[in-house]
Order: sequence, then C-alpha cells, then structure tokens
Amino acid sequence: MSHRFLASLGVLAAVSLAPAPVAGQTPAAKSKKTAAAKTWTPPRTPWGQPDLQGIWDFATITPMERPKELEGKDVLTAEEASEFEQRTLVQRNPDRRDGGSQADVGRAYNQFWWDYGSKVIGTKRTSLVVDPPDGRIPPLAPEARQRSEARAAVARLPAAGPEDRNLWERCILGGNAGPPMTPGAYNNNVQLFQAPGYVVILNEMINDARIVPLDGRPHLAPDIRQWRGDSRGRWEDNTLVVDTTNFTNQTNFRGAGRNLHVVERFTRAGADTLLYEFTIDDPMTWTRPWSAAFPMTKTPGPIYEYACHEGNYGMFNILTGARADDKAAEEAAKKGTR
Amino acid sequence: MRKPFGCARNAIATAALGAVLSLAVQPAAGQAPAYKAPRGAEGKPDLNGIWQALGTAHWDIEGHAARAGAVVALGAAGAVPAGPGVVEGGQIPYQPWAAEKRKENLRNWLAADPEIKCYMPGVPRATYMPFPFQIVQTPKHVLMTYEFAGASRVIHMDRPDFESPIDTWMGHSRGRWEGETLVVDVTSFNGQTWFDRAGNFHSDALRVVERYSALSRDALRYEATIEDPKVFTRPWRMSMPLYRRLEKNAQLMEFKCVEFVEELIYGHLRKQPGKGPGGLR
Repeated sequence: MSHRFLASLGVLAAVSLAPAPVAGQTPAAKSKKTAAAKTWTPPRTPWGQPDLQGIWDFATITPMERPKELEGKDVLTAEEASEFEQRTLVQRNPDRRDGGSQADVGRAYNQFWWDYGSKVIGTKRTSLVVDPPDGRIPPLAPEARQRSEARAAVARLPAAGPEDRNLWERCILGGNAGPPMTPGAYNNNVQLFQAPGYVVILNEMINDARIVPLDGRPHLAPDIRQWRGDSRGRWEDNTLVVDTTNFTNQTNFRGAGRNLHVVERFTRAGADTLLYEFTIDDPMTWTRPWSAAFPMTKTPGPIYEYACHEGNYGMFNILTGARADDKAAEEAAKKGTR
Repeated sequence: MRKPFGCARNAIATAALGAVLSLAVQPAAGQAPAYKAPRGAEGKPDLNGIWQALGTAHWDIEGHAARAGAVVALGAAGAVPAGPGVVEGGQIPYQPWAAEKRKENLRNWLAADPEIKCYMPGVPRATYMPFPFQIVQTPKHVLMTYEFAGASRVIHMDRPDFESPIDTWMGHSRGRWEGETLVVDVTSFNGQTWFDRAGNFHSDALRVVERYSALSRDALRYEATIEDPKVFTRPWRMSMPLYRRLEKNAQLMEFKCVEFVEELIYGHLRKQPGKGPGGLR
C-alpha cells in the first residue's frame, strides 16, 4: 500500500505543525550522551560489538525546535507534558469539523493516514534540539537565507517541471529518513542490521538502506556526491558514530548545501530504547553547528516496502494541475487585454 | 531433498508439481556444492558480502544471439550482447497466450519494461542486473540490498508462518538454511515486474524459491525455481554464479534513478515540454 499521495500534504502539515504550543523552563547545555547507557550494559554481537539491531520507532510529537512561547522552558513537568500531548492531538486531529468546508478539504486525509506518534520524548524536553541550549536551530547564514528564499519563491509558483517540487514529493529522498533522521508525519521506522564490518540503516520511508562501512576506509572522493551523502562508521565505547559527507547541493536538509557534515550517534539505553543524537555542521548554511537528540523505541515491525516512485500519482496530478493553472492564467490575461 | 511446492491450485499446478519433483532428482542442479563456506554467527555459512552476476541474463534470460539495440543513437554501445542463457532446459515453458504476450513485450520494450521507469526490479531480476547487491546476514533477518533504484528486501529467517499482508514489488521473503544453502521462498508479488529486458514476464501468482550456496570464498551459486500457474505450463529453473566484488573500495553506490527518468515519465507535463530538466537546478 502506498501512502505516496500523502506526501505533499504531509510536508505542509509537518511545517505548519512544527511550532505547536507547549509549556516551558530553563536551558540545558550539551546532551548527556551516555548517561542512560552507563547504567545498562547492551547485548553484544557474536563478534563483540554492541548490538543495536531491531526495528526502532522514532515517532514523537516533541517539535524539533522549542516553540517561541516556551522560551526559557527546557523541560516539561509530567503534567505539562500530558497537557501538551492532549492539546497537540486535538490540534492535529483532521477528523474534527470546526473549520468550514475549505478546512475539511485540507483535512481530507484523516487520522487513519498519519502516524506522528502521540507522546513527547521521554526526557520531556521541549525540543529535539539540545544545542544551542535555547532549543532553536541557529540562524541561517546570509547565503543560505537567499537560497532558501529562492526555493520558497519557486514553490509558490505552479511547477514548471518535477524539479520545482521537493525531493520527498519526487520520491528521491524520504522526508524523515535523513541523514539525519527526524520524526515526521508517518513511516517513522528504521531497522538496524549488523554484520562484521558493516551497519545498515534501513528506513521505511522510501526504502532507503544506508550501508555504513566500519573498516576505517576514507570517504568517497570529494567530487563524488550522493543525495544521502556517504557514510562511514566507528565505535566509541558503546556508541556507534556515523559520519556523513559528500552530499549534493540539492539534498537540502533544512536548507543545507553540499558541505553539510552530519555526525550521528546511536547508543542503546535499555532493552527497548535506542538513543539517537546528531550534530549538523555546515558553516555556509548555519552560523554555528547544532545538535538534536531523541530516543527511539523498539517496535515489532515489520518494515514495509514503500514503493514511493512506483506509485507517484501525486506528481502527475501536481503537474497536470500546474498546467491547468497556466492555462487559466493565460486566459485571464487574454480577457484582461480585451 | 528439495521441498515440493505448496498446495496445488489447479490442474496446471498439479502438473507443475510433477515436473518439479522430476527436476529435483536431477543431479548437480539443485545440489549444494562440496565447498563449505566459513561459518558466520550462529554457525551458519557466512554469505555476507557484495555480489554481482556477470553475463547477459539482464538482457535476456533465454539463450540469444547478439542483436541491434532499440535506440539507434546508441549504436554498438546500445546493442544486445549474446548469451547462452540461464534457463535450465533452454526455454521458458510459457502457456500459449503468454508466449504471445512475451513477444509483444519485446516489441514494446521501451514503453513496457519497468526497469526503464526505475521501478523496483523484483526477484529474481534484481539479482542479475548489471549492478552489485549486498547480503547482510543476521540470525533473524537477512537483508538483501541492491544498488539499482536502492531496492531492498528483508528475508525473515525466524517467522516461517509469517504471511505478507500486502503484495509488493520485491516480494515477501521467508528464508531457512538447508545445510550449506540459504533457501528463500518469495511470494506476494504484485505482478508488475519482469525477468529481463527481453519481455520475459510473470503474473501476481509468481512464487520464487531461491537457493544461495557458496561455490568458493568468492563465488556463490544462485538458483531460482519459478512457479506461476497463470503464465507457465510448469515450474522452471534458472541458475548462475554470483561473484564477490573484490575491489578494496567496493561499496554499493547510490543509484537513485528517479531523477534520471523524470523527463521520460513527466516530460510531457512540463511548462515547456521537450526542453528537459529545468527549475532551480
């Protein structure tokens, strides 16, 4: 079954829901990386590495960035968290009918289609961003702001071709699959596989299997660029560290360019918990590096096939609609000149 | 002894069962080779690695002479190299209507082959495309991930009764070990994939039983038994070696071909058709 035709709606929804309201407190410094792991000994593979394998669910309603109205509030109390969850679920519920016919059309995909999750993360932090301590992604560098504005301007026009739509709608990259992974509208599932010398990160979104060699080999040559970059891994104690470079200029993780450098850290924090942390560095895009952290929860799965491109009726419809818009605009212009 | 096929669906399938039993007693073809692979985790043969088929099965799994390609501008580079074929017994046992359909597929290759549109190639085709794939072997799951279109599938080693709730492009794979051989039973196909670039095809009733066994440290024997009572008169089998990619820097590279087929698929819907990729890029 393809949820593909949801993608464009999903992107819009994710953007508009990101600054959902919460209730707040004080900033924390850098993530306490292996605090949980210190009290729990992870199982090991037969060849002696920490065993991270399983299917992990990273759905959460904790927003990436701390909402403005929670400025200064680092962590929610249990009560505040529960209230926040309730409020978010009501706001997101597309089955409510309190907005008139236009809103109803916008909510055409009802709750059945979405899988945002229903809980804040276990730490009850008000943002997934842990650094800077204010929980906000640092400001875009001037060049990146220009890039981002140019993209936004194109997105407002009827698409001249598929390249004018985003990579998720084109089924080139999964909105939440990364690197780095970020909780999104659905398919927030990832399966980790380990064999001697390799870890493979299989994201359900767009079926991306990211193969991470652990043998210390260098990154691909700098002139070889890939949509998802080129990943290399190593162990630091019980933590898998994955370093990714060689992105394309179009990969566009939150406006990043080809110099994007992603460092991910995976640490088992319990039988059913995998701590996932990432640090983003791209001086051409952000004024300073930034980091986020959230736990993933073991889930029975399975990971389903996500035939995004194969079922991409959405792109036909988007482009057909754009051509109809062109025609209407043309006719309106003719009338205007008469 | 090869496990016979599951419940016979009709007269064809019954005939098919007979045929497969007779295939099973043939020596060599289905037998595990004498070589014993190094043991991996849990004492099973270690088939981990990056593998690739050589040969021309991706052009045509049946034996074929060299022929001109379909795109004049590509000249010799686009021509089809000859091959002796990988189908045991030489020919695919199509039902008469299906033999006609195959010819039509071949005539209509450019428009009809799902590979050309960058669709997931299905099984067994993914195995012998001119791209590497990687086996990542764990006790509960074996991941097969293919460079072409980034397709992959998880083989469930721990749930023999797990039926797929949905049909898929890459099929639903359940595996088991038979001595030295990884046996994978693949079902629940959506019927939209092909076997090769020569129009050889199947329906959604396809069932593939794959057998992977090590011939040496750096080669596997791959065998696939094909059952599809809607299309064939009996089950049939293909086999070929798979070779380890030995380059020190071997890795599956990204081949996200969606980008390369957008003009083909959506070009007619551009604001300026025929002008090629545009937009911000």
